[in-house]
Amino acid sequence: MANILASYDWIKEHLKTDASVAEFAKKMTDAGNSVEHIHDVAEAYNGIVVGRILVVDAHPNADKLRVVTVDVGKKVQIVCGGLNLEVDQLVCVALPGAKVRWHGEGELIELKEAELRGVQSFGMICAPDEVGFEKLQAGEKMIWDLTNVTDAKPGTPLVKALGLEDTLFDIEVTTNRPDAMSIVGQAREASACGLGKFEMRKSKFETSGKSEGKNGKMDLKVSVKDKDLCPRYQAVVIEGVKVAPSPWWMQKRLLLSGHRPINNVVDVTNYVLHELGQPLHAFDADTLEGQEIIVRKAKKGEKILALDGKEYELDASMLVIADAKKPVAVAGVMGGELTGTKEGTTRLVIESAVFDAVSVRRTARTLNLYSDSSSLFEKGLSPEATTGAIERAIELICELTGGHVASVIYDARAEKYKPEVYPYDAKRISDVIGLDVPEKKQKEILEALGFVIDGKKATVPYWRDHDIEDAIDLAEEVARVVGYANVPSVIPTGEIPVTLPDPKIVWERKLKNILKGAGVSEVYSNAFVSEAILGKYKIPLDAASKLENPLTDEWVYMRPTLVPSMLTVIEENQRRFEAAALFELNHVHHPRKGDIPSEDWRLLIAGYGPDGGAQAFRYVKGILERVLREAGVAAVSFESGGADDHFHPGRSAKVIAGKDMVGTIGELAPHYAQAFGIDRRVVLADLNLDHLLPHLGAGKRYQPTPEFQDLIRDLSFVLPERKTHAEVQAALVGVDPLISSVSLVDVYQGKGIEAGQKSMTYRLSLRASDRTLSSDEADAVMNSVGKMLTSDFGAILR
Amino acid sequence: MDLGQLEKALEQALSSVSDEAGLEGVRVEYLGRKGKLAEAMKTLANLPEAERKAMGLQANEVKTKMEAMFAAKQSAFETQKASKLAESEWIDVTLPGLALEEGHLHLTSQAIEEISDIFSRIGFSRVLAPDVDWDWYAFESLNIPADHPARDNWETFFIDQPAGKKGRVVLTPHTSNSQVRELEKGKLPIRMINIGRCYRRQSDVSHVPMFHQFEGFMVDKGLSVAHLKGVLDYFAQTFFGPTRKIRLRPHHFRFTEPSFEVDITCGVCNGTAMVGLDKCRLCKAGWLELGGAGMTHPNVLKAGGLDPNEYSAFAFGWGVERTLMMREGIKIADIRELYKNDLRFIQQF
Repeated sequence: MANILASYDWIKEHLKTDASVAEFAKKMTDAGNSVEHIHDVAEAYNGIVVGRILVVDAHPNADKLRVVTVDVGKKVQIVCGGLNLEVDQLVCVALPGAKVRWHGEGELIELKEAELRGVQSFGMICAPDEVGFEKLQAGEKMIWDLTNVTDAKPGTPLVKALGLEDTLFDIEVTTNRPDAMSIVGQAREASACGLGKFEMRKSKFETSGKSEGKNGKMDLKVSVKDKDLCPRYQAVVIEGVKVAPSPWWMQKRLLLSGHRPINNVVDVTNYVLHELGQPLHAFDADTLEGQEIIVRKAKKGEKILALDGKEYELDASMLVIADAKKPVAVAGVMGGELTGTKEGTTRLVIESAVFDAVSVRRTARTLNLYSDSSSLFEKGLSPEATTGAIERAIELICELTGGHVASVIYDARAEKYKPEVYPYDAKRISDVIGLDVPEKKQKEILEALGFVIDGKKATVPYWRDHDIEDAIDLAEEVARVVGYANVPSVIPTGEIPVTLPDPKIVWERKLKNILKGAGVSEVYSNAFVSEAILGKYKIPLDAASKLENPLTDEWVYMRPTLVPSMLTVIEENQRRFEAAALFELNHVHHPRKGDIPSEDWRLLIAGYGPDGGAQAFRYVKGILERVLREAGVAAVSFESGGADDHFHPGRSAKVIAGKDMVGTIGELAPHYAQAFGIDRRVVLADLNLDHLLPHLGAGKRYQPTPEFQDLIRDLSFVLPERKTHAEVQAALVGVDPLISSVSLVDVYQGKGIEAGQKSMTYRLSLRASDRTLSSDEADAVMNSVGKMLTSDFGAILR
Repeated sequence: MDLGQLEKALEQALSSVSDEAGLEGVRVEYLGRKGKLAEAMKTLANLPEAERKAMGLQANEVKTKMEAMFAAKQSAFETQKASKLAESEWIDVTLPGLALEEGHLHLTSQAIEEISDIFSRIGFSRVLAPDVDWDWYAFESLNIPADHPARDNWETFFIDQPAGKKGRVVLTPHTSNSQVRELEKGKLPIRMINIGRCYRRQSDVSHVPMFHQFEGFMVDKGLSVAHLKGVLDYFAQTFFGPTRKIRLRPHHFRFTEPSFEVDITCGVCNGTAMVGLDKCRLCKAGWLELGGAGMTHPNVLKAGGLDPNEYSAFAFGWGVERTLMMREGIKIADIRELYKNDLRFIQQF
């Protein structure tokens, strides 16, 4: 995407219109030439006038300042530091109230009468960059000398004196439309939008084949060695040139269009580029060795000093323009410094050529060298456009430099031009748009854009030969000009496809919301990791898919596990938050030979607590249990040990659903915590969702609500610490069928309990399905429970 | 005591009562089972027939009045008691509530849920597609030729592995790889939405190398720009609110023709481009860019095995993060913050 600054004044040279600025902007935007900003040029020059210097006096209190008397229709006194002040000079004077940009920098500032070192000053004598012409250089501490720019009377508003009554449209042009990156292109679009009549102005200089041959005084040899990369190369010699600054009208057009005026030759090439969208280049003919132009691939190691003053080393993929000995331009990108136009140049070779879009793009990219030319060429230009451009350049250069044509127009081209033709079907176009656009209207639009419609055929204008690629493209041309605002808005009817929702999508959403409800916060980490991160987590490099062209060292591999990114997140948050519970649910990638990486769908829950870690395991396990319970996973169990070395060997377990291992829960092994700079105990539950999927939702079964009340009995006992809860609970449940549930209330170790022992308290619910239990029945059950604990676990009841 | 006196006596007794115990005493004395009123009523039974009837009516009237007098006094006492409760059982209601564990979904997840819901109501089902995919699905089948800039190494990430039959392995720069994958399933018509991760080789304040897009794709017979416009209008008004307007601005994408950008009126300046006397800094002339859309290019349908003369299709693909931020008016100075996972950020949403 790029933008063009288009002067309305300039457009009107090619468009008969009386459309207002607002109407122009709206219609052009609706048709795809988005006017992003509108600048009223004159607006900025209120209170800025032409002045004539009458007297230049020394400043009584400052060596570097002058006290100047200026005629601005009346005499005013201005204190000024300009070095080039002269009596009778015409200058640009900003009067109090005008807005200027001091020294071309910062925001606009409103001028006021001021006292400068004890002397009154009624305004300011400006440099070009102080009144909006940053690209017009007057030199350090030089004011803008208007003596040769205007002959307006003192006091004339600058807008009048310099012809600044114009509007600039800042228009976004899509990449497929290099033809619209020009004044003519915009005028043509405007005409199609009904804004006026388009007229291609004719150049006063028109070629008619070889008739210029008789003028040929210089015999230039032009050869194209690579016609794929240079489908057409036109060149002409102009003699008797006097290089000088361009007249103001030319400078003004360029300045308003964002170009920097250089001299009357280079300015013409930029002018034609902006007007017609065809890049040109001017060589100093006398610097071309062997009077020869060869379009060829560069030789490896060849170098060129480009116009930007830098030297570039070329490679064999790049196309150059060369003379008999050396490259003189990087084709389509930038000319060489040594062969460019400069003061004293008298003979020129003007180049108007087309280069392959991809080649120009890659060359510019490789050299990191961009220009207005390269940005146009890389979008694809037509070989038919060169003739009009070289004719216009000849006309302007002869007019501005006093030169004359001194050669034939050389024309090396790959093949005769054959315009593209596509089938035209008015009904299909209306069908695609969903609006009946009469054939007559369609033709009107297409013809205004330059298409030739002949029955069922549409011939594409040459300036669109890269972007129109199919009959369907004609529909877009019609639709955008008709305007999408005029297309109705219709909700599609018709059959709604019946598709079962993908269980992954369903469960991803449910699980995330369950986790949120459980107080866990979601993180989204980058899918890339660095080699260093993989190293820290001891993942072999070949276990991760590597990017061929990473952007930075940080993002080189597709992560094969969510854990390292989570550890990074914890490391960053551990000092801000005392405790945290986090999760990430996403897929990771595993490389596969000869195939795209496999997607491994994971849920990682991680937590750390305020107590530094003692309870962290149970904290995260609690979350996990809640999530699995709520997600309807029946028969979850935890099998201690068996986790890989990322986990603490004594504080980890396999997570089992039914008979399937669905993941691991455990404390991060201390040396990994250290590697990631984490200074507290972190517990991770890393689940494989593909394995978990069949169990999700499967465990929710209806059970009748019990008819009779439960009897609740709590029981505390001391037993050896290595006896696990799982063992105890299973044994308790097995004592009597009347025990309907067993839950742990408390585990205690410490004061009052012998070392190696622990105290446990369980709550037992007792229930019968056919009667209310009596207290005696419950006591009998509890009695058996006590006996079992004593005999099987060596427990001492408390 | 006759009935009239009784009424006056109760009035007097009530006026001198000062607490609930006293009130109860008065109730027993006058209105109780053996109270003065009951006594007086009893004497009525001894009156002669004719007199008894008239007196009975009078007695009932008096009884109703006395009961009402008592109820009024009682209610006055209750009100007084309640007002004391406010004093005696006062708590500081400005103390914070007891902290429950609070979880947060990432902004991106929230947006994904909401967007899926909106589209599911018009029959678009969410599908999944790989985010690391073959060149064929990400580019070639989408009418993006091999020498297109998007396929250059400096625009798109590639995986360092040999190319296969379907080309190189690429980190999808958009979610559009789902289009031909969906066509290959061979079930028509199609109304799908694919929300997934995408990757582009850029990282600055307004770009993250990894982001999310949602892709809508509809394939049927006889679809036109009008239908696409209908779907986009529906989404924009549901997601952003009925006062927002959209416009389609012609644009260029390789896999759609015609193509356009979808703009929505700016929520900050309400589409006026002005905030007070200043130009709105968020939008371009009152409009914000939502994303791209268009009628699917015939070459894409062909790549998916369909005859473009028989079937037509449209597609749209927008940034999830961008769309959400545009609605919420969330201005994140550096969009990379979205994936830095600072809990201070995450817990705001």
